[in-house]
Amino acid sequence: MATKIAAGAETLLWHHGAEGHDTISARTLGFWLYMMSDALIFASLFAAYGVLDNPFNAAGGPIAQQVVHPLEGFWQTIAVLGSVLAYSLATVALKNGSKIGVVHGILGAIVLAVVFLGFEAHDLLGLIAQGDGPQRSGFLSVFFMMIASHGLHMVFGILWMLVMLVQVARSGFTGDVVARLLNLRLFWQFQASVWVCVYVYVYLLGGF
Amino acid sequence: MLALAGCSTGDYRLFHPVGAIAHTELLYTIIDVGVMLIIILPVAVMIGVFSWRYHHSRNATHTPDWSHSLTLEFLVWGVPLIMVAALGYFSFKSIFMVNPYGPTVLESNAAAPLDVDVITTDWQWIFVYPAQHIATIDELEVPAGRNVQLRLTSTSVMNGFYIPQLAPMIDVMPGMRTKDAFESDQTGNFEGFSTDFSGAGFSWMRFATKIVAPADFDKWISTVQASPTQLSYAAFQKLAQPTVNVSAKPAYFSNVDPKLFEKVYDAANAGVVYPVPAALTKSIADVSAQGPQASAAK
Amino acid sequence: MLVQLQGPWSLLFGRLTLSALPYDNPIIVATFIFAAIAGAAVVGSVLYFGKLGYLWREWITTVDHKKIGVMYIIVGLVMLFRGFADGLMIRTQQVMADGPHSTGVLGAAHGFIPPFHFDQIYSAHGTIMLIFAATPILAGLGNIIVPLQIGARDMAFPYMNAVSLWLTTAGAALVMISLFVGDFSAAGWVGLIPLTELPYSPGVGVDYWMWAIQISSIGTTLNAINVIATIIEMRAPGMTWFRLPVFTWTTLSTSVIGLTAFPVLGVALALLGADRYLGTHFYTAGDGGNLMLYTNLFWIWGHPEVYFLVLPAFGIFSEIIPTFAQKALFGYVTMVAATLTIAGISWAVWLHHFFTMGAGPDVNGFFSIATMLVGIPTGVKVFNWLFTLYRGRLTFTTPMLWAVGGLFLLLLGGLTGMMLAEPAVNYTVHDSVFVIAHFHCMVLMITFAIFGAVIYWFPKIFGFPLDERTGKMFFWTFAIATALVFLAMFALGFEGETRRLDYLYDTDWKPMLVVEEAGMILYLVSILYFVKMLYVSLRDRAQNRVSSDPWGTARTLEWMTPSPVPFYNFAVTPQVNARDELAWRRENGLENVKPDHYEAIHMPCNTAVAPIIGVLTLAFGFGMIWRIWWMAGFALLGIIIVVIIRSFDKNLGYELKPEEIEKMENQAELGGIVAEQPARQPITEAEAH
Repeated sequence: MATKIAAGAETLLWHHGAEGHDTISARTLGFWLYMMSDALIFASLFAAYGVLDNPFNAAGGPIAQQVVHPLEGFWQTIAVLGSVLAYSLATVALKNGSKIGVVHGILGAIVLAVVFLGFEAHDLLGLIAQGDGPQRSGFLSVFFMMIASHGLHMVFGILWMLVMLVQVARSGFTGDVVARLLNLRLFWQFQASVWVCVYVYVYLLGGF
Repeated sequence: MLALAGCSTGDYRLFHPVGAIAHTELLYTIIDVGVMLIIILPVAVMIGVFSWRYHHSRNATHTPDWSHSLTLEFLVWGVPLIMVAALGYFSFKSIFMVNPYGPTVLESNAAAPLDVDVITTDWQWIFVYPAQHIATIDELEVPAGRNVQLRLTSTSVMNGFYIPQLAPMIDVMPGMRTKDAFESDQTGNFEGFSTDFSGAGFSWMRFATKIVAPADFDKWISTVQASPTQLSYAAFQKLAQPTVNVSAKPAYFSNVDPKLFEKVYDAANAGVVYPVPAALTKSIADVSAQGPQASAAK
Repeated sequence: MLVQLQGPWSLLFGRLTLSALPYDNPIIVATFIFAAIAGAAVVGSVLYFGKLGYLWREWITTVDHKKIGVMYIIVGLVMLFRGFADGLMIRTQQVMADGPHSTGVLGAAHGFIPPFHFDQIYSAHGTIMLIFAATPILAGLGNIIVPLQIGARDMAFPYMNAVSLWLTTAGAALVMISLFVGDFSAAGWVGLIPLTELPYSPGVGVDYWMWAIQISSIGTTLNAINVIATIIEMRAPGMTWFRLPVFTWTTLSTSVIGLTAFPVLGVALALLGADRYLGTHFYTAGDGGNLMLYTNLFWIWGHPEVYFLVLPAFGIFSEIIPTFAQKALFGYVTMVAATLTIAGISWAVWLHHFFTMGAGPDVNGFFSIATMLVGIPTGVKVFNWLFTLYRGRLTFTTPMLWAVGGLFLLLLGGLTGMMLAEPAVNYTVHDSVFVIAHFHCMVLMITFAIFGAVIYWFPKIFGFPLDERTGKMFFWTFAIATALVFLAMFALGFEGETRRLDYLYDTDWKPMLVVEEAGMILYLVSILYFVKMLYVSLRDRAQNRVSSDPWGTARTLEWMTPSPVPFYNFAVTPQVNARDELAWRRENGLENVKPDHYEAIHMPCNTAVAPIIGVLTLAFGFGMIWRIWWMAGFALLGIIIVVIIRSFDKNLGYELKPEEIEKMENQAELGGIVAEQPARQPITEAEAH
């Protein structure tokens, strides 16, 4: 609504038209912010890892070189990246409005993530079985915490994907569903980049 | 009440420093306050004056739109900047002078330094004189005129080493070693205590600091060396069980394991702990109930 | 995998046994009876007046940012009172337990509280005041004011806002439960390591402390996300960055700090939890753990947390002072720059909390100078407020008194802060009560800002002002009490008294301890004035209905809505033309220009999901603390299921008709915060398209 002010110029005082909340852009921004706080969690864990990753903190137990297998980790990395690729294909299908494409992409992402987690569980359980569990030393504590924190993110992501499969099948591409699919893509790429950092920092730098 | 007699220098202990380190610390406290007051006093006065001068009823000048002045903006950033630069200079300079790991103000002292190892347990102080093979509980006796170099570690939790008029505060940590140093030319008795909370017996974790003439110190050493109680590492492990020494009653040991400090340090790193049973934390009240009598008897 | 514990454990009740109830402690029993009577009175009156349905529909399930804010503040004020009661007990214990000849009562050797109980009280005091009083109150103020100041209808995520509130409340509830079931932590609010490890704290106290903070800090992080997204996404047209009110700027900076700092705290506590529950060795002295890892992580959160609390207080001063000086804020741009600078530096100073750790002079020197740098932007702020007073037309209403009083505290806190920033000085007073007095100057400055803000914005939210006469008595008693307690405490610092003493061996301290105790009693009097202020204002509210701008000189957008603010905030989104929009409209004679017509407004529906998540989180926390695994497991599963169910909910909110808006605009009480709204039908999917 325009009104004349004292000086005589026309000026607008009120602005009709709804100011929405929960829009896709606000939700994406919110999700980025959430990831920032999550990134800080991993930053703190990396800092803790940096502090505790030395022979002194291994307290006579195995050091990094003895517990990580860079080659096995390489295949895990391939699985994670493959999972991200599968999810990206789902996003392409989303752009084309193809329900079946989205479902296939997500299923592929889930399968590869489960493969990854299988490797990881095998690794960690093997260490525990030979007496090198997280209680063994400060270094192993932080090693398990680091790997498990990332693994937990993946488990959570898989749960989210399962929910999205149902929602895509039931309601199709509503605003809510699309916003969640896009945020899930961010999340999935986020956990993959965290894994790449873990792989470089823990597996490569520790293993060689 | 011997220990309390040492405080007769006045209530405000920090204003009565003893030794070069404490003097330096007080000097820089005064400099710091002085520099800060140059800016804080005028501001405080101006808040008061403006509040009075521009009170609604006084019809003083009113400039509702005045909200910017380049000169003033430079001033409001510049003045604090200069002040912080000055304080930063003093701060950086003084850190080296009183650095607990090697204070430069004590470097001029030519006399051979005295080494004392400090071990805290729950909730006692154990002072080991490795060269003299003696140890004490809750009493630190040192000669006047010599630098005292401390190494500190803890068997259990963190503590803080502090003698208000004499020595800078330093943390005492299990599995780690910290250092501290002090020196005094004059003799006297001072109260020392733990400053970093360490559990239910914390309030009673005090020790007497006695600065004595060198001759008296040597005499004291020989008395303690004649003490019938000895301190091997095995004996120490019994000593280190949680105990509240309510009236900070001193004890003396001869024939002390010279590597006691290293052994305690290594043990803590190997995961040896002296747990405090839940029942004990709750029953400290009973232990301390002896307080008034025990102290009065002292 | 789990560690073995001392004491009994059962599948059904975990570690919980009847002996966990401290029925043998007369102080706690009396508190319990008082709490039970007060609780029964509240529940009873709600039932008697038939307000249960109203409470559920309008408050507990609400997603309105103002109501959520008000509930945050109520939780915070209750906890503030609890924290004060703890403080009163600490002071009373110390004045009674001074000297070896002091006598003891109620089973204590000295004073009236045995050490183990005293340690819990001071730990609870710090935890409560910082995390469950100051943080929720400031979060509440931000919640209420920020959307109004930027001309938004709501927060960006109204549902998440409610979840944040109920998580914070669940954390606060855990602290309260610890009073009556089991113990609270006896290891300081900072969780002194390795005292918090199982060998030294075998009870549930540390677990209470850890989970209460962990749960509420998740709430705080979510709230920070919400505030940042709101300020970025939901500003009214014309509200450019350099027109944002300073309070909004400070809340934004604070939220950025909260968003980045609280996760670090989360990790610090999670690793401690791993040590206590799984037997890992993150912070143990031996077996490859590292104590200082905890201390560093904690203070990497802890110091930004200080500015997390201080910045909104600065923002409040920047709102109150121009209003009552009838003058634009001096140096707006530098004020904003100073705010951002403080937020930035807050990340680089954490080590000054442990200068005595034994770090070398270079490390200490770096952190000393970094700490001092904070003095520059803070000094700038003080100068800017000073020049805002200069050539103003000052009216000393109660909010203004709190603001100017706060400035004096800031000066004193700044002076002593600069002293502590010098390691050479710090070595002599590091763990002494001098430090306590210093940071109480700062947190009381925040408290002054909080009371100023509550009184300043109260008429906006409720439509009637708080009584000025009793308000001024409240201010003066509180301010004099502050001076008595903390000036005496500075003196005690120079006398060599250290922190956290349950028994004080030195009788020289007696005179100053008595002065402190007198101050505490005066605080008690000030609380009575606070209650009287609320009572008088409520009693006379009908005569004191206020218009949209009750102070007459307010400058920012929030004062353009009717008072009380209707639940939809602005009937029509304002177009912003100037930095101080209301002042600008007043100058141009436009402050009474109403929109010429109204259009329908889309509003979100209420939700029971948020309080349910709160209750489940409380159950989860309680289960984890007492190691009742089934309870914690079901609660966690419950939370996941509730969140998934909620994601299937297609509720699209409802629409407010223009006629309705017009009616409420003309009779503000109809849309006000205490008014009951008619049941509204959610719009269908078909209508939405």
